[in-house]
Order: sequence, then C-alpha cells, then structure tokens
Amino acid sequence: MRQRRIIAGSALALTATLLLPACSGGSSDSAGSGGDIDKAPKGAGKTLTIWTYEDKTSAMGIAWDAAMKEFTKETGAKVDFQLKAFEQINKTASQVLNSDAAPDVMEYNKGNATSGLLSSQGLLTDLDPAVKAYGWDSKLAPSIQTTAKYSEDGVMGSGAYYGIPNYGEYVETYYNKDLFKKYDLQVPTTIDEFTQVLAAFKAKGITPLAESAQEYPLGQLLYQLALTQADRQWVTDYQTYTAPADFHDAAWTYAATTLKDWVDKGYISKSVTGQKAQDAGDAFEAGKNPIFFSGSWWYGTFTSEVKFDWGTFLFPGAKMSPGSSGNLWVVPDNSSEKDLAYKFIDITMSPEIQNLMAKSGGIPVAADDSAVTDPKGKELVDNFTTLTKEDGLAFYPDWPAPTFYDDLNASLQDLVNGTKSVDAALSQMQTDYDKGVKEIGG
Amino acid sequence: MSLDQSERVTSPAPERPVPQNKRRRRTGLEWTALALTVLVAVVMIAPLLLVVLNAVKSPEDFANHGPLGLPSGIYLDGIRTFWNAVDFPRKLWNSIVISGLVAVFGVLFSVLNAYALGIGRIRGRMWVLVAFLLATIVPQEALLYPLYIMFKHIGLYDTIWSVIVVFIVIHGAFGTYLLASVFGAFPKELLEAAALDGANRRQILWRVVVPVVRPTLAVLAVFFFIWTWNEFLIPLSFLVSADHQTVQVGIATLQGERIMNVTTISASALLGIAPTLLFFLVFQRTLTRGLTAGAIK
Amino acid sequence: MIKGQGRAGYWLYLIPGAALLVTIIVVPLGWNVYLSFTKYRGIKPPTWIGLDNWKELFHDGEFWASFQHSIAMVVAMVIVPTVVGLVLASLLFDVVGRRFNGKIAGLLRALFYLPQILPIAIAAILVGWILRPDDGALNDLLSKVGLGSLQHNWLGSPGTALVSIAAVLVWVQIGYPVVVFMSALQRIDPQLYEAAELDGANWYQRFRAITLSGIRPEIFVVVLTCTVAALKVFGPVYALTRGGPGDSTVVPSYYSYSEFFTAQRVGYGATIATALTVVVLVVAIFFVRAQFRLAAQEES
Repeated sequence: MRQRRIIAGSALALTATLLLPACSGGSSDSAGSGGDIDKAPKGAGKTLTIWTYEDKTSAMGIAWDAAMKEFTKETGAKVDFQLKAFEQINKTASQVLNSDAAPDVMEYNKGNATSGLLSSQGLLTDLDPAVKAYGWDSKLAPSIQTTAKYSEDGVMGSGAYYGIPNYGEYVETYYNKDLFKKYDLQVPTTIDEFTQVLAAFKAKGITPLAESAQEYPLGQLLYQLALTQADRQWVTDYQTYTAPADFHDAAWTYAATTLKDWVDKGYISKSVTGQKAQDAGDAFEAGKNPIFFSGSWWYGTFTSEVKFDWGTFLFPGAKMSPGSSGNLWVVPDNSSEKDLAYKFIDITMSPEIQNLMAKSGGIPVAADDSAVTDPKGKELVDNFTTLTKEDGLAFYPDWPAPTFYDDLNASLQDLVNGTKSVDAALSQMQTDYDKGVKEIGG
Repeated sequence: MSLDQSERVTSPAPERPVPQNKRRRRTGLEWTALALTVLVAVVMIAPLLLVVLNAVKSPEDFANHGPLGLPSGIYLDGIRTFWNAVDFPRKLWNSIVISGLVAVFGVLFSVLNAYALGIGRIRGRMWVLVAFLLATIVPQEALLYPLYIMFKHIGLYDTIWSVIVVFIVIHGAFGTYLLASVFGAFPKELLEAAALDGANRRQILWRVVVPVVRPTLAVLAVFFFIWTWNEFLIPLSFLVSADHQTVQVGIATLQGERIMNVTTISASALLGIAPTLLFFLVFQRTLTRGLTAGAIK
Repeated sequence: MIKGQGRAGYWLYLIPGAALLVTIIVVPLGWNVYLSFTKYRGIKPPTWIGLDNWKELFHDGEFWASFQHSIAMVVAMVIVPTVVGLVLASLLFDVVGRRFNGKIAGLLRALFYLPQILPIAIAAILVGWILRPDDGALNDLLSKVGLGSLQHNWLGSPGTALVSIAAVLVWVQIGYPVVVFMSALQRIDPQLYEAAELDGANWYQRFRAITLSGIRPEIFVVVLTCTVAALKVFGPVYALTRGGPGDSTVVPSYYSYSEFFTAQRVGYGATIATALTVVVLVVAIFFVRAQFRLAAQEES
C-alpha cells in the first residue's frame, strides 16, 4: 500500500534526523570569560527575569519583593518576576536552563544532586568574577560557603562559586512552653536531661515527640542523634565522599538504637509511619505533642498560627545540627542580563534587605545583630549564628545520594514498624547509600 | 437467549422521549436498588465535602481544629492572595483553551482513525490498533526528553501547542481504541443501505455512522477535557513561562519544598475542579439522550 | 467494510492520525530505546554503554518484585471497578432510569464520576486526612461506632498500606466504567428489555443476555485500559506513601519516575520505561487479539 510506505518512509527519515546528537547540550561555561563586571549596569529599557518559589508571605518573599523594587530604582531596569512551583523547578531545571526560556537569575536548591549536577553540566555561570567584584565571600561564613561552591564533578565544598546564598536554615527543637510549665519541666541542656523530659511526658500519658516517618523529620532526628557522636570530618566524609561512610559505625549505631529505643518506650508514636511532615507540624500546633524537632522553615507558620506559648532550643549537647545555607541565587549560563543579575544579587545581600529579612522572621546570612528586636526572632537568628560560628552546619542526611531521601525514609519506616532490626535497617541504608554514591562524581 | 447483535442494535433517533414503564408498581427490589446506588453515591462524594470544608478555613482554624473540624468562619484571604500571585484567571484560560482544543480535535482524531479500523477493516488493523495503543502504554516520562528536544528544534517549546498536540495523540489513542471497537460492531445493514443509496465513504461517515455513536463521542469529549485538565507532568515540563501555564501547575506553586499551604490548596483545588465539573454537568445532557425506540431503517 | 467500497481508500483516513502518532509516540519511543543503551544525564550528549543498563535491570530484584504489587493494583483498578461498574451502570440505566426518573440516574452518575475529576495531588491530601492514624476521619468514625479495635495505621503499616491504596484507587476508578457503560447501554434497543420482561426474565437474566452481549466492545475497552493504567499506576502511590512503608507499596513505574527525575539517570530510566512498555504491550496484544477473535466468531 503506497500510503503505508510513505508513512513508514517519512517516519524513518524523521527518526534519522532527530537521532543525530542534538548539539544543544550545555555550552562551555564562561569560567574563562573573566570579563569585567559592570557594578553599575544601566538597565533602562531592559528586563530582568527572576524566578523564585518561596511563598510570597515568607520572610524571603518579603525581602526579595523589596529587593526587586530597590533594583528597579537603582538600575532603571524592569523586573519580570515569576513565582514558580518548587516541583517544576526541581524536575525541569535541566531542560529549562538548556533552552531560551531560561530566566536571568533564579532561586535554586543547594547540594550535589541539584546545583552540583547543573554546574557540572555547564548550565550555571561561574560566579567567581562576580564574587570578587562584589566581595560577597566576606559576608558568608565558611560553612555557608560550602554549599555555594562546586567542583567540576559537581561535589560541594570546593571549586568555583556557582550560587550565592542569602539566607540560612537549620533544624532545632520547638517546644510547647505551656506544657513544659504545666509539668514543671526545664529546657534540657544535655541529652540525658532531654531523655528525662521525654520520660516525664510519657509518664503523664503524653507522647512527647511529634514526628513523621513518611517525610523528612524522622530522618533528620536520626541524623542529629548521630551528629552528637561524630565530628566535622565525619560529616565531610559523609557529604563529600572523601572517605567511605560506614553505617555500622558508632555514630549511626547509636542513633538508630536510640531511635528504636524511643519508639519502644513510646516517646515516638508507632503511627508516625503514616504521617507526613505537615501532620507532625499540625500535631504540634494542636498541642498534642509538646516537642517538635524540625526546621526553621516552620518558624513563620508557628508564629502566626500557634496559640500557646512556645520556644526553641538547639538540640541539647550537640555541637552540630542539620542545617545549611538557604537556597542559592544562580545565574543560568543562558542568561542574557548577567550584569543586572549580579546587581540584583548584591542588593539582596545588602544590609537593608538582610535586616528586613531578619525583621520578617527569616535567617539572613549577613544582617546586623541589632536588626532584630523581637525576642523570638532574635533567638532564631542567634541560634543559627552559634552554629555557623562553630562550623556546626551538618547539611542533611539525604543529600549524599539523589534517591537517598526515599531510601532513608523506607528504612526508618521498617525500623519503626519493627519489620527490620536496627542492624538490618542500617545495612539497608548502607546498600542504598553506596549505590547512590556510585552514580555521582563520575 | 442468544441475540445476534447486528440485528438488534438500533440507531437512537434524536429527541424521542423515554418510554418509562411506570405502569407496574415499583417492587421492593427496585427500591433497594435505588437505595444502594444512592448510598454508593454518598460514599463517593463524602470525602469531597472535606475539601469544601477546608477551603474556607483560616490557617489558624485548621491548625487548631484539624481538617475534620467545622470552619468557624469563612476565610477567603488565602485564595485571594493566591489568585493574584499566580494570575489564576490566566491559568484558567490556558487550561480551558488547551482542554477544549484537545477535546475537539482528539475526538476528530479518534473518529478518523476508528473509521478506517473499525468500518474500513483495513488489512493489519489489529497491529495498527496496537500501534495506537502504544500512546497510552508508554510511560509519559519516557516521552519527555525526546519531545523536549524535538519541540525546542521546531520552536514549540514553552507554547501551549506542544501540550495540545501531545494530548491529542495520547488521549486520541484511547478514543481510537474505543471507537474502533464500537465501530467494529456497527450494524452492517445501515452501512450497506447507505452505500446502495450511492453515498461515498465520507458521506457514510458523517451522515450515518457519527449520528449513531454520538453518545460515545460525547463521552470521549468529556473524558478528554477532564483528563487534559488534570494532566500535570507534561504541562509542567513544556509550559515554562507563567502566562502559558495551566491550573494544575499554578496550584503546584502552593506546595513548597517542605511547607504547604493546606487551606489555600483546598480552596484552589475547588477553583480548579469547578470548570471541569461545569463541563461535565453541561455535557451530561448529551450523555443522557435517554432510551429511544428507534427502528432499523 | 461496506460492499462496493474497496479497502484501500480507508487508508487515507489514517494519515493524519498516523503522522501524529509517529511524531509524538513512535519516534520518542525509538529514541527511548536508543537511550537505554547509553549513560545520559539530560544535558551533555549521551555516551554509549551498550548493554550495561539492561544487565543492571535484569539484576534489579526490587524492580521485578514490584510487579507483585501491580497485582493488587489490577484488582483495585480493573476487576472491582469493572464488575461493580457494570452492576451500577445497569442498575442506574435499567432500574433507576426506567422505573424511577432519568434525571436521578443522571445525577447519580455525575456523583459517581466526581472522584475522577479530582486531581491526584488533592485526592492525596484528602485521603491523608481520612486515613491519618491519630485523628483521621476513618479511625475517628470507627471509634465512634464502637469499632475502635479496628483502628489502624492504614498507610503506615506494611500489612494495610497496599490495601488502603487499593481502596482509594477503587474509589477513584469506579466512575469511569459507569460512565462508559451507561453511554454504551444507550445503543441497546429498549424493546429488548421490555420483551424480556414480558417473557418473565428477571433483572439478572436480562443483564446477562442483553446487557453483557450488547456492550461487549466497551467491556473490552474498559478492561484493557484499566489494566494498562493499573500496570502503569504511579501518581496515587507517589502521593500517598511514596512506595512505603519500607518497600511494601513500590510499583514498577515508581522506579522509572525516580530514575528519570530524582536521580536524573535518564539512560537507566529509559531502560526501565522500555521494559515496562514491553510488559504492558504484551498484555495489551493478548487482549486485543482475544477481542478480535471474539468479534470474528460472532460474525461467522
């Protein structure tokens, strides 16, 4: 049949032309183009496309809004701001940045699996020249700089700057002051005191810890427990593969055993395997569980929604806690307004904007100590500063391997349900970690 | 009782009223049947009432009484902020255009293909049908990279046409299969009678075949609209700029990496469902053409 | 085929469809097969690695084991909805529509279809509220009616997670067969039902003899498309349990998705996607063959 042959023939032709390697792969990065950065770019008639995905009412959203207005005032350029979905950026970043639809500057996640991957594939601009011109590195504490620099293989900690963080995040303990007062309990300062507080609540029939094993919270608690028995080198090895990680070492074994112990004693409910992070937060807000170990990203929500008296403290006796820089400003290699992008980034790093972020309940990287007057807000920022001063930001347990987030949660669910013993769960984590790491760093 | 399909299946004439047999008193069994179907319907929609409840709660309300509590007042600020932040009307419009075009052209796609397969009985039609079914079998993520490169080459990346074309094929494949199966059982007498009257292939298609299967076409149109409306992965990948995006992508902005805005999500979900619901209810009437006693011409 | 018309002319009707099919599906599928032989992370050009991905897939025990969970999906998305859908559609059409009120039948059908309109992300939040262990609606209801001992950590314990997802899928899927079957029932001559009733046939006898044989094409279509959907199901699993607790609800397409997006191992993801396509294709071919054979038998 002629029609059939025609169709088949054109299909083959089409296939042939399209299978030729699409040369739209990452353009060589502009590391060599040490062109002069214009620190006072004229923006009249130009538009800067900015993408972010933080809630507009969050501290970052508020600060960045102000930064955009300031930017337009200073350079005369218009801003095309688009609020994106985290999911969209996460899934399609490599496709979008590799096309004409790429923005001029955008918020992007930190870590090997995200910024590391994109930078190693040549999709992000090398920011070293801009950093030198604007002096941003003097504003960033060393542990914050780790997540801003990536090697050629896309591993953080060394190499050129590919992203600029302008806020931070960390994990701390939220507690229900009213309930603590009711049972005459003090804020614990050591892990033993912490355990005693847990036991005291349990004795009164209250499950002390709000947790979720379906999403990140329980994994972060496990990691924190391990951190209390580990040192900086341990973290560096785990996160940047400088030495193989051993899930049966003292730190991990302690962490998993303690967690199992707490589940058995009822400090953590067995039903956390069916709870999402939102559910855990909801439980804390409703006053059901008096202690919630989770991130600074809950701060704004709790401030506006919680009815009882509450406070925070760093995990007792810990020198390191999960935490890192916040998301990074990255400049796609396909950006057409790089000088304007750098200018915008600089504005977000300026004292006015950083102070505004602090006042709005965020954690800036370079604000004045006197900026925040609200005691809770001050506590939030002070705790972060304590961590950065001691180089105590340990990043997050799921960072080393891209699918480790799901794997870690799966192993913890088995641990809580009793389906796997402590040993078996740790072995499973080892297998998953090793498999995932093999894929990274070429 | 064995019935020869092709003799008994009729062509419903339009606008003939339903001859409802109400002469006999409804038996107890029949009342039970009614009760059963109503009960099932209640179970079906009960969870949706939860969405409605939570859509008008303030975040504090939700935090203090949980998702099951009754709202203590109507709170619309969240949805108002969201509406403006993502330019929701624009997203609504995009979704309507995309879903509508896919519905119309998807049905056309299905009709043409099914005509050749089901009535034309072309050689190798089973394999052609299987080839079309591939469109529903291949996982969508497998299509993304090749299509991305193709669309970038021809300049369709970040336009609604990329999405429209993709879903015409994917949903149209289902339509092809359904219609081809239905056409395969089409009463031959109608076709032969028309051919004897001197009608050519095109006329037979539009004047004889299509009117008979109109209820099925209506079902297809409704399905295509709703399925396209709810699609997420492909619009997420190919619609980059904010003013090309659809409702589902817009709603996704409420889901941050770790925090989500539950009450606003519920409210926006309702806003997102409303058009599809309307579409379905409007088309319901074409689906319910009612029983007719047509005769074989 | 109509007497007096050659078959060849019908090919013309296939041209637009075939052209689009080839461009949008066949070419990307072929490309995908090619990618399965490469190492590719989506940006820099792919590097050929021969059969390495395939070797890895064959040894990936978890992937093949996940097909076991697909069986639960097939029950939940094919068997139950088709059977229940048939009964409901027939009841609505034959009993409620004819003996009560056509409008009520239409309204009930709309209500049955509502869960299909809900985007899965919203449905997941909703289901979370119902199945939450501590204060979810289901456990709450159970304790209120005195069945407190039946309370469970529905989505969080390995024993009940898969069943819970299956129940949710049934809830979502039922509307689809009901709508398809009801539109199909309109093709059947109502006088057949009248005649059968006068002959003394009860509802079930009428159902088997008239309904089932009259809408056979649609039954095939529903069963096949639901089976394909069940074997490919991803959204609900991702949204409700992400494959947990442990590995108890991992389904094959979960791998494909996580390799494509989370790990950005596009080459291996392509391998998984190709394997999945092949498996589902084989099932589909069996079905379509059976369907054609049955239709041919009826004609002779």
